[in-house]
Amino acid sequence: MFKKIDHKILAPVIILSIVGLLMIFSTAGLSYALRQGIWFIVALSLALTFSKVSPRIWYNISPFIYAVTIILLFVILFSHGVYPKRWFRLGWFSFQPSEFAKLATILILANFLARRKKMESFADMFIPLLIATIPAALIFVEPDLGAAQIFFPILIVMLYWGGMPGAKIFIFFSPIISAAASFSIYIWVFYIIALTVFLYFHRQLGDFVYGLVSNSLAGLTMPIVWHSLKAYQQKRIISFFSPWVDPQGMSWQIIQSKIAIGSGRLFGKGFLSGTQKKLEFLPERHTDFIFSCLGEEFGLIGITLTLLIIVYLLYRIIVLVKETKNRFSSICACGICAWLGYQTFLNIGMTIGLLPITGVPLPFISYGGSSLLASFMAIGVCLAITKSKLEYS
Amino acid sequence: MDENLKKFKLIRNVIVIIFIIIILSSIRLQIAEGNKYKRLSEKNRIRMRYISAPRGKIFDRHGYEISNTRPGFYVSVIQSIIDKKTLTEVSRILNLDEQTISERMSKERNAYMPVKIVHDISYEQLALLEENMDELSGIEVGVESMRNYPYGELLCHILGYVGEITDDELKNDDTYSIGDYSGKMGLEIYYEKDLRGADGIEYIEVDARGKEVGRITEKRPIPVTHGMDLYTTISLALTESVAVYLKDYEKAACVCLNPQNGEVLVLYSKPGFDPNRFIHGLQPEEWQRLYNAPDAPMYNRAIMSCYPCGSTYKPFVALAALDAHMITPEKTFERCQGEYRLGRRTFKCWKEHGKLALTNAIVHSCDIYFYQLGRFIGIDTLTDRARKIGVGEITGIDILHEKPGLLPDRTWFERRYGKYWTEGHIFNLSIGQGDLLVTPLQLACMYTVFVNNGKIPTPHLIKRDKISYRETNISTDAIQLVRNALFGVVARGTGTLAR
Repeated sequence: MFKKIDHKILAPVIILSIVGLLMIFSTAGLSYALRQGIWFIVALSLALTFSKVSPRIWYNISPFIYAVTIILLFVILFSHGVYPKRWFRLGWFSFQPSEFAKLATILILANFLARRKKMESFADMFIPLLIATIPAALIFVEPDLGAAQIFFPILIVMLYWGGMPGAKIFIFFSPIISAAASFSIYIWVFYIIALTVFLYFHRQLGDFVYGLVSNSLAGLTMPIVWHSLKAYQQKRIISFFSPWVDPQGMSWQIIQSKIAIGSGRLFGKGFLSGTQKKLEFLPERHTDFIFSCLGEEFGLIGITLTLLIIVYLLYRIIVLVKETKNRFSSICACGICAWLGYQTFLNIGMTIGLLPITGVPLPFISYGGSSLLASFMAIGVCLAITKSKLEYS
Repeated sequence: MDENLKKFKLIRNVIVIIFIIIILSSIRLQIAEGNKYKRLSEKNRIRMRYISAPRGKIFDRHGYEISNTRPGFYVSVIQSIIDKKTLTEVSRILNLDEQTISERMSKERNAYMPVKIVHDISYEQLALLEENMDELSGIEVGVESMRNYPYGELLCHILGYVGEITDDELKNDDTYSIGDYSGKMGLEIYYEKDLRGADGIEYIEVDARGKEVGRITEKRPIPVTHGMDLYTTISLALTESVAVYLKDYEKAACVCLNPQNGEVLVLYSKPGFDPNRFIHGLQPEEWQRLYNAPDAPMYNRAIMSCYPCGSTYKPFVALAALDAHMITPEKTFERCQGEYRLGRRTFKCWKEHGKLALTNAIVHSCDIYFYQLGRFIGIDTLTDRARKIGVGEITGIDILHEKPGLLPDRTWFERRYGKYWTEGHIFNLSIGQGDLLVTPLQLACMYTVFVNNGKIPTPHLIKRDKISYRETNISTDAIQLVRNALFGVVARGTGTLAR
């Protein structure tokens, strides 16, 4: 029955999920592990079911799926739930639409990009940007900045794979860098000079004008907007965008996470014998910070093995991306790879202190039904693509 | 498909590089610095310590400190380290029962976080604790700044008091932690955000029993932000004189305003309470006694109790009549013979005044003139002008729980007395009796209308540059006329005692 399944993709996913179950058992206890186990079984069967659905069908229904997720995101914002408004509570389980929105957005972006044979102007990027911004904005106001910002790297990778030249993508999104750089005049001037040199060698008048005008505008309006805000508003924004500036909880978590990983050393303290996890230093030790506990109990060896499995999985997906003849399937798989890879990087980078705390789960490993379900659905789509990878239409 | 191969290689390389970076960082953490972290994790030696921010001081208008801070010693415990023996010993020294200590500890979710269990211990207790420190594990003693009110009862209603944060407040605002103080009344609560400051944090390394060994230098401490000082408009000296003047009265209230800008110099209410007593936390029965006392010491009479203002209301009736152009200052009514008959009821005057015009009616406070004037201009004119000068509305002073008083108007009377309310009610209203209620602060504010030509400044307790006014739109001529009459009140009328 499952003969045609690509085990090179499914096997690493199952191994990662089992590692996740073990770590959840270790950090949060049996009841959490059992619950996640049930989710795992549901998710796996969903993935296997999805593997039988032809990519053609995904192509056709992707606008519908996207519309439904957007409606769900709207409904959740206007529901009288607890704050932050991230979950629907249905009886004993809760459901987080933002996780599914990522997959839905990837599908519709792939649909849109697959229709374009040639991609070369900024106008071609505008609609994809809009498609990604709608769910991102809705999730942003929930508020869940961590989940909201994931849409944009996915979009950029998909545009790139869809045929948009890298330089074009860079110029299109460069005003964001300009706005960020404008907080220091020196960095901003340096950035603008570097950008001008780059645009000059890029040798396209339209891009040159767009690049300079948009970057100058972004760089000049940002400080004006910023200074027109009251001090408390600025403070609120800073703590919103960079919770790690707030020392009371966040950097404490980072320190404790680093202690957990560092104290694991080469071989780790052994399964169930981590000491850091027992302290209530991390409220999210079975979700966002599960990787710290993995590092503590299984050491560098455990971390390396887990990372190798993740890299292998991502590698298998990009091989699939390369080999798939159908344009929609290929771009879609590429988006899935970008999503899983970027989110993994964000999460692990946070636990080892390389990146700020963003509060995104580690795919397949962190506790959480919605995240697991959505990731497995994405894998199901990948599996379906492997079956039809040699078909052009 | 050369292009695709190029892109494939780029994406693959990005993935590989990112994961090499992660592996390298893990090697740094686990191999290069592994021993350090191992040591830290063995006893979880890093601890975060809050340094409580001193609360801002409060000054009177001449720079006297009317609320400041003093050092106090607190005791905190760390749940995960404290043992049964220590608990018993500490509860003996501090004279607290073990149950209470355990309950307080269990409020903190982080078992490694010290929880303040008692503030401001005595020197004897401090000495006992320090003496036995070697046998006590999981106990910390530290210094914090405690609120102090040098003038005790005198300014209690303005300043309010601070008390330990309650569970509900903690739930609503996660920037507080257990054992913190927050303002509960008066300026202390109104300006809580400014006065409070922000706690500092330092990271310390501790030994297995929770005793400090040294600072962690890798982690920058967060410096304490002192609370902002408040500069009030209150005059301490004037308040003291008022208190002396009122010493024979059991219940009293007094408000002194600068009529030009609304600065409050005195806001005194009697009886009061000693705000210093709240710092240790009141016992429930003590609190009940204070709260339910028949003379209500917690009650700020100057802004919360509403009284009929009596004859002080007459100038406003005159003002309403003049502003509405219904009378001239020469207007006379039936002469005052000491009483006035309305149907079966007799309304009295305090003296037989004879025939009076408006100015003299104000100067000698003739009730009978004002009964007739009130009836002449009617309820609607009366209440309309009263509303403009702020009767029945809070003044907007910067303390909470101000009462708006009561301005009875036509609809109010109809609701209260049915269709059959009579002219008698207007009579009473015209001399500030009956159903009309104002707070002492309101009355003081109402009178500022005569000083600022129709504008009433919002009363305030904190010095400010920009003063907001209530525009009454009452004609300047009317104000001038009544103001001149008010000079007469003091010069030759019922207010000569004020000279």
